[in-house]
Amino acid sequence: MHQKRKTGILGIIITIIILILIVVFTNGENNASFFENVATKLVMPVQNGLTYLKNKISGNDAFFTDVNNLKAENEQLKEENSKLEQSLRELENIKSENETLKEYMNLTEKYGEYKTIPAYIINKDLSNYSKTIVINVGTDDGVQENMTVIADEGLVGYVVSVTNNTAKVQTIIDTATSVSALMSSTDESIVCKGTLDSMTELKAMYIPPEYNIIQGDSIETSGLGGIYPKGIHIGTVKKVESTKNVTDRYAIIETAVNFEKLSTVLVIQN
Amino acid sequence: MKKFLINIYLIIIAFVIYFLQSNFFNWFTIAGVMPNLFVIFVLFIGLFGSKIMGTIYGMIIGLILDVLFANNIGISFITLGLVGFASTIFDKNFSKDSRFTIMLMVAGLTIFYEVIFYFANYFVSSSSIEIISFIKILLIEVIYNVILTIIIYPLMQKFGYYIENEFKGNKILTRYF
Repeated sequence: MHQKRKTGILGIIITIIILILIVVFTNGENNASFFENVATKLVMPVQNGLTYLKNKISGNDAFFTDVNNLKAENEQLKEENSKLEQSLRELENIKSENETLKEYMNLTEKYGEYKTIPAYIINKDLSNYSKTIVINVGTDDGVQENMTVIADEGLVGYVVSVTNNTAKVQTIIDTATSVSALMSSTDESIVCKGTLDSMTELKAMYIPPEYNIIQGDSIETSGLGGIYPKGIHIGTVKKVESTKNVTDRYAIIETAVNFEKLSTVLVIQN
Repeated sequence: MKKFLINIYLIIIAFVIYFLQSNFFNWFTIAGVMPNLFVIFVLFIGLFGSKIMGTIYGMIIGLILDVLFANNIGISFITLGLVGFASTIFDKNFSKDSRFTIMLMVAGLTIFYEVIFYFANYFVSSSSIEIISFIKILLIEVIYNVILTIIIYPLMQKFGYYIENEFKGNKILTRYF
């Protein structure tokens, strides 16, 4: 019985380790730096201790000279230190506030012709198959259904439902949405849909056979459909997939907005 | 009184799971795929709680998820309710003492839940259908859920039998003889 329980716990620990390893390896762009970090964290305390010892021994002769003086000085320095720390904290607060304000300013400057409401993302969808987000403004701030949501880089999505203080936004990478778009160089209209397996790509479909699609061309909203205003940047053409049937061909579009790191958005008031 | 307390515990656990799912598992993912803790939780209640508890908890949790995230109310409500109902059926027909059976149940119910959820969403919101990427995500999700079940199984069993004694009486032995 005891033996069995022991192996059970061992099994659980091994599973946890395997899980963590899988998570690290499947998500990593910076695996190397992760392991570097772990290694430094393991080694650094010992290293620090050794250095401390070495310094202590080499500076040993001056240790007993002026203990009283040193104590007084120490007190004074401590006081000074706490004061400095306080002011530092205040400064840091001001700095972060300044940064967010600047971010808002930039955002609003870029889309100056629209009246906008700034908002933070407070929640992301829990399921793997839909990509809605929740933002921290609602009817109290003047947000209504079907308003367009943008970020600094481009289009994010539109508001599907609102409460007093929050709003649900359906992003353009959700598979249930499609955006009518224009290619900037040729003014040809296409329809962009979200895909299931990518957070950064859209699929442009219904491309008429006579149209030319150019790689690297930028894509903007066309204003058709009544939700999105005209001329908001969506992304760039990443590659064109041609199939046997010309009417079936599609293009992959890389979104300008990085949805994984998105944290502040703007809601355009109609 | 004790039953009331157990219900309070379950509600607290539901909240903890919600916050885990929305914060921790949002970045602790396998290749960008999150696990689905709600299915495990509803299965757990269905297995160890009283006859209707699984279904009721499934429906309530589903309703809350619908209100919070979905565009149309009803899909998670029905699917999680079905998961709860299925787990009460499992309770009648299978033994809960083996880790392996529970793992199989979790895998089966995750597939059941996600397939219904995906296709219901497809019919309601007319999104384009992508079978291959759907299956890929589903498989990773099932594996993730099973791994989590292995880890939390001892906890599940301990708390589960505590609940079962309260709701069904101590019938564990008599049922098998």
